[in-house]
Amino acid sequence: MPYYIGDVIREEKRLIARTPEKFRETGVDVRIDTRAEEVDEAAREVRLSDGTRLPYDILVLGTGTTPLMPGIPGEAREGVFALRQYTDALRIKAWLKQVPCRKAIIVGAGFIGMEMSEALRGRGIETVVHHRGTLPVSRWDPEFSKVVVEELQKKGVVFVTGSELKTVEEGIEHKLRLVTNHGPDEADLILMAVGVRPNAALGKQMGLPLGKSGAIRVNFSQQTEREGVYAVGDCAESFHRVSRRWVNIPLGDIANKQGRIAGANIGGGAMTFPGIVGAQSFKVFDLEVAATGLGEQEAEEAGFHPASTLVWGNAIAGSMPGNSPLGLKLIADRATGKLLGAQAVGKAGAVSRINTLSVALWAGLSLDDAGWLDLAYAPPFSGSWDPIHTAAQTLKRKL
Amino acid sequence: MGKHVVIIGAGAGGASVAAEARRRDPSLSIVLIEQRGQVSVAA
Repeated sequence: MPYYIGDVIREEKRLIARTPEKFRETGVDVRIDTRAEEVDEAAREVRLSDGTRLPYDILVLGTGTTPLMPGIPGEAREGVFALRQYTDALRIKAWLKQVPCRKAIIVGAGFIGMEMSEALRGRGIETVVHHRGTLPVSRWDPEFSKVVVEELQKKGVVFVTGSELKTVEEGIEHKLRLVTNHGPDEADLILMAVGVRPNAALGKQMGLPLGKSGAIRVNFSQQTEREGVYAVGDCAESFHRVSRRWVNIPLGDIANKQGRIAGANIGGGAMTFPGIVGAQSFKVFDLEVAATGLGEQEAEEAGFHPASTLVWGNAIAGSMPGNSPLGLKLIADRATGKLLGAQAVGKAGAVSRINTLSVALWAGLSLDDAGWLDLAYAPPFSGSWDPIHTAAQTLKRKL
Repeated sequence: MGKHVVIIGAGAGGASVAAEARRRDPSLSIVLIEQRGQVSVAA
């Protein structure tokens, strides 16, 4: 969606994987602009906002996430947005057309805030990011987060740290004014990107057990504790193959897979969801940022004994023109020598390394394995020793 | 008519359930409920 707002994806219809009409052609009764208000489990009926009561034999909860809002006065003003749903993207884009938007404020420095700063800046809009902490994208090592800040600043995005929000008011020079502990800052659009939480309201109302994450507990077949009731996507938990714990990671690729598993089981098949390793990537201007597996703190919480190394290598062979630095951090368990997680940042090659290391995590490889993986070597793509080899062997020596 | 399947939410998860269940069992009666104005969106 940030790429639609940034006019990289120009046509609205390219965002729609399948329209209601397409679904209806296959005999699926799609009811848009309709809310499921309540599940009457005794009658096995769902009560809808239009008053209809729908009988069910099988119920699926795919209720997604709810964006967190800071909870400050004025945050509901026109021109203040959150970005979670497609309709938010449409509203933001309509607002950008409607008002002369010269300046935007993004509150929050997670990956959505980063993607949106590129999208808005790319439209020639003066962009300021207000962040409560000191460094963006907290999943990554501070050394990598600093590279992200440098990239923002190089591209003309102002990055304000230690911002405590007070109010949103009407502006004088711009439409709106955000007041923080640093004083007033005006903009024509304010995007609240401070995070999301699983929307498990219906599940909760039904008394379904929720996990520590606040998402609905499911088994490997996507079934909840209740007979005939499934949960999929951002509102449900997933099994993390590295930590061996149930977690909630709201990403669309996971939702797609879980949906297919539940659909297969409902349609008479027998499938289980093998889980996730926590792979994630985003792009901010000319930087690829990616991570997989566990960070050190998560690893400790899961009972491992993490050790880590952070190396800077080359995205492609050092002798080649167009080469760029690639930062790679690996986390491994001192007790078993197993790889636990990885993070990477660079102009190129970060995502490809993280995808490789995601496979390593999936298969439970050790640092010994990762240090000697047979990777596709050619100078335009990597050195003969890839940063993966270097980092794994460096960390192996440290264990 | 087969079983009644009600799916609440037509994002990536719910829409995938509907598509796969339909592919596997044409006799199912499937209703997909979405509180917003669109379904199955690429994030």
